[in-house]
Amino acid sequence: MSWLHFMEIPDRIGLWWIPGSGTAEVASLRPRRPHARRASADPFAFAGGFAGREGEHSIADAIGATWNRYWFTPAEAWQLAIVRILAGCLALALWWSYFNDLEAWFGPAGIISRELLSGWRSPWAVSLFDLVSAPASLRAAWFVGAIVLAMLTAGLATPVVSVLAAILFSSLLHRGPMLAGPADDVVAVMLWCLAIGRSGDALSVDRLLAARAGRPAPSPTVRTRVALGLLQVHAAVIATVAAVAQLKGDVWWDGTAAWWLATRSGSRVVDLTGLLAQSEYLTNLVTHAIPLWELLFAAGIWFVPLRRLLIPAALVAWPLIGIIAGEPAWGLALAALSTAFLRLTGRVG
Amino acid sequence: MPKKPSSTEPPIATPPAETVRAAVTVMLGLYFVGLALAVSGNSASGASALVRTIHTRLFSPWMTPPWLDLGYEMKLTYGLPDDADHRIEVRRQRSPATARPLVLPADGMWGERARRWRRLARAAVIAEQDPDREALLPAAIGAGLFDDVGGDDLAIRILRDVRPDRAEVAAAGETPLRSEQAYAARVRRVDGELQLIKNEPQEELAPVIREPAP
Repeated sequence: MSWLHFMEIPDRIGLWWIPGSGTAEVASLRPRRPHARRASADPFAFAGGFAGREGEHSIADAIGATWNRYWFTPAEAWQLAIVRILAGCLALALWWSYFNDLEAWFGPAGIISRELLSGWRSPWAVSLFDLVSAPASLRAAWFVGAIVLAMLTAGLATPVVSVLAAILFSSLLHRGPMLAGPADDVVAVMLWCLAIGRSGDALSVDRLLAARAGRPAPSPTVRTRVALGLLQVHAAVIATVAAVAQLKGDVWWDGTAAWWLATRSGSRVVDLTGLLAQSEYLTNLVTHAIPLWELLFAAGIWFVPLRRLLIPAALVAWPLIGIIAGEPAWGLALAALSTAFLRLTGRVG
Repeated sequence: MPKKPSSTEPPIATPPAETVRAAVTVMLGLYFVGLALAVSGNSASGASALVRTIHTRLFSPWMTPPWLDLGYEMKLTYGLPDDADHRIEVRRQRSPATARPLVLPADGMWGERARRWRRLARAAVIAEQDPDREALLPAAIGAGLFDDVGGDDLAIRILRDVRPDRAEVAAAGETPLRSEQAYAARVRRVDGELQLIKNEPQEELAPVIREPAP
């Protein structure tokens, strides 16, 4: 069986997995309804139909089948590798933003002392950066983190560094929670998801070295599928919660939110005040488009026909919203998170 | 004759066993309950006692350390003064009016680094509404900047942009940049002890009542 041929199998598994049968062999997952094969070749397509929908099995079986298909269809590593590279680059940029002020914030006479933190953060919060405060050790810890993130981005020793990257990144955020922003939150989630999956099985130095050593390309894994599923769920949850939070404010209903965002002289990336001042309708349009996009993305991404439009749109829309909001890293992080919905197949390595 | 598989072909992936799927399903279910409670429990709108209790007792202990106990509430703006850009301005207490203060984020700072300083300034202002955190951050900012400013007696101000009305800008043809004082205090170190004296706006000060002399 060739590799590319094999890559067609998981989609079929997704469509015709019978939950509770106790069989987990590929051979036992044969089609029940031949037309369903044409309906969808996607492990998370609700629109594709699932086994027993027409009375052959109970609704519980159908839900179980969808659940199994979504979470347990082995997935190849391409998608996760792309998320790894993008998340690694973003994490490095965010990590870099601490470098010049490490001592001012976390040093022995820094602003954010451990005494201050005790009254600020949750009692459950822990940080490896609590262990260091001397300027030299702070910088050393920072450099270790930067190297780990660079290794993650390149895909070197990925199984180890993906876990280390998530631990170090969340440690740094816990060291100064009042400095953390929305981009940090999204990147932290992405790093933890990467720690679950096997993102180093593609587009990585690890894979390159394995190929040179003559080792076979790794097979699709359920771990990777679970990681992708978690990334996808988080993308939808974050978009939904953002829209709901915005719709609690009057400025998102009266259409002036875009104006208030544009007037943040320090945070803004481009000055849109001149443009928005000229047209109230344009201000209203930009304002309403943001939560509308978020809701459309959160709901529409689960439907195959819409998803084909929404994924490329997400790669443009999220960064644009980030620029308008004065949080470009947040926009880029959400665009990177959206790449978890890409469907890619091919030879790994 | 069937083709013999080459050594470079990937091994065939087998779906996980029923028990593995069951275990993973339980873990995912648990995490999603935690995610839902984190979102609702960290909402700026507040949370019910039930959600708060379940969230803080059962889920926060394991969701907080990995930085996953988050509300993800990205409102972007509500058009309130607190949503404006903030900055910190520090000078020595008795410095001449012409002396340039230390401003953070400084002019040369940009990107995420500058945003972190703005978040710090904003957090200091917002914390004034919380009795448990009131004055902690301004005092820490002062103490942390003694060396940078060169003195043990500093005047700290947190300024925020006053945002112009759209119609005003449309009429004027340009965007005026104005700031207002969101917080001000004097921070000093006396005999190793840190003291913070908040500058209250005059209208918020209670009148001085003196006992009549006997």
